[in-house]
Amino acid sequence: MLNRIIVYIGTKAISTYRDIMDFINYIISIILSLKSLKYMRFRSLYNTIINQTKFTGVDALIIVMIIALLLGGTIIIQALTSLPKFGVENFLGNLLVIIIVRELGPLATALIVIARSGSAIATEISVQKWSREILSMELVGIDTKLFIILPRIIASIISIGALIIIFDIVAFTGGYIISQTVIYIPMSDFGRIIIDAFTFKDITAALIKSLIFGIIIPTICCYYGLKPLSKFEIPIYVSKAVIRTLFVSIIVNIIVSVLFYL
Amino acid sequence: MNNFILDIQNVTYSINSINYINNISLSLKAGDSLVIFGPEASGMTKLFDLIILANPEYEGDILYKGKSTKTLDYFEQLMHKRDIGYVHGDYGLLSNMTVEQNISLPLEYHSHLSAAEIREHVESIIYILNLDRCKNLRPINLSGSEILKTAFARAIVMDPDLLYIEHAFESHCPLNIKSITDFLSKRSERSDKSLILITYYPQNFINISNSFIMFFNDEIVFSGGREDFINSDNPYLIQYKNNSIKGPMAIL
Repeated sequence: MLNRIIVYIGTKAISTYRDIMDFINYIISIILSLKSLKYMRFRSLYNTIINQTKFTGVDALIIVMIIALLLGGTIIIQALTSLPKFGVENFLGNLLVIIIVRELGPLATALIVIARSGSAIATEISVQKWSREILSMELVGIDTKLFIILPRIIASIISIGALIIIFDIVAFTGGYIISQTVIYIPMSDFGRIIIDAFTFKDITAALIKSLIFGIIIPTICCYYGLKPLSKFEIPIYVSKAVIRTLFVSIIVNIIVSVLFYL
Repeated sequence: MNNFILDIQNVTYSINSINYINNISLSLKAGDSLVIFGPEASGMTKLFDLIILANPEYEGDILYKGKSTKTLDYFEQLMHKRDIGYVHGDYGLLSNMTVEQNISLPLEYHSHLSAAEIREHVESIIYILNLDRCKNLRPINLSGSEILKTAFARAIVMDPDLLYIEHAFESHCPLNIKSITDFLSKRSERSDKSLILITYYPQNFINISNSFIMFFNDEIVFSGGREDFINSDNPYLIQYKNNSIKGPMAIL
């Protein structure tokens, strides 16, 4: 029995080590492919950047705004009704900025992008691989690592950055409007305490998170998109792409918060 | 100094101790058009790994324009692939791009031409290959011959010195792809453009090609010019042309 457990743990450890090394090699190959940048014409990426920005950013706008509105409303109602009970209503602005700007905005936006675009990227790449479209690109001398991943990273950085800003604005303004149905607080007072609570650090942290999410989401999803060797493996790797990107994003969110605020 | 565009010297290629190509030597001069044919699993499709992908895991040497493909670095490999126009039986058109975008992609990626010049050049190829009707359609909306023509247009858009066509015409009505065969006929008259055609139907390309090579069992069993192909009494060639199971080749 003990032997079996040891063998199981050993096998899992070796498998995890191999996966990590494989991912590191993938990252190295992307970095190495950057030297092709000086030989390629950037215009060939425009279409992908525009389409991906539209899908990741513009098309996700409605769902991001609805979620921001609902979450913002819930948090503001909870804060406005609960803080006075503990006598800390003076910290309302700080609390809302901490929850919405520092944590919820970037993370909720990243989760929506992973669910919508991450899965779509992994599926698109794996289908392109299966139908030999990626091979065809290679055969006309295109550096596929660069051509596939770079425009998606650029589009994701732009989209996630914009979505986080929109999320925060909608969460505050929409949330405030919703909260008025429960408890009244003058708009000018609410605006003032929020603006007073804002620091440059909050904006920098949110932007850095959007930059990191913009890089890791397409990078991990493309990695798993390039993995399937047959079409039967496509759903397996798409599922892995979503779950692991989700996991990494949460870890990254924690690390950035710790580095900025501790 | 020879003017070989491609020189394959004593190449043996095996994967996991299974032989795919056995001591093959052949050369192609600039302006030559070569048809390679033979039964399935005779080794001719493995040439793709060596010539196009520049896979260095073989014995012997392959020189492209005088330079060994074994010594190509990362970027030179990309440029090597760019220099050879390649059409394969799976076509591999990008499904999220229109016909026009598929054709112009190599130019947009590699060339210094302006957008207007690219459009003009692509329009001329679209006109030659009769793709006007579908230039704004995506691959899902195309007929089989239109897909082939688009893949062919993408392969020739950079005006490669060597065009490598692998089992691309086998399942098409000759009438529908006449614009391609007409283009190949004209191209074969040029002294600076070479062609390698891998096919099961060499007789369809007698007017285009001036040399023929037959593969069987990972080796070359026939090699000759157009007249040799028509008149030779090589038993392998006769068996192949007669579509017969009787002869030196044991066909499974």
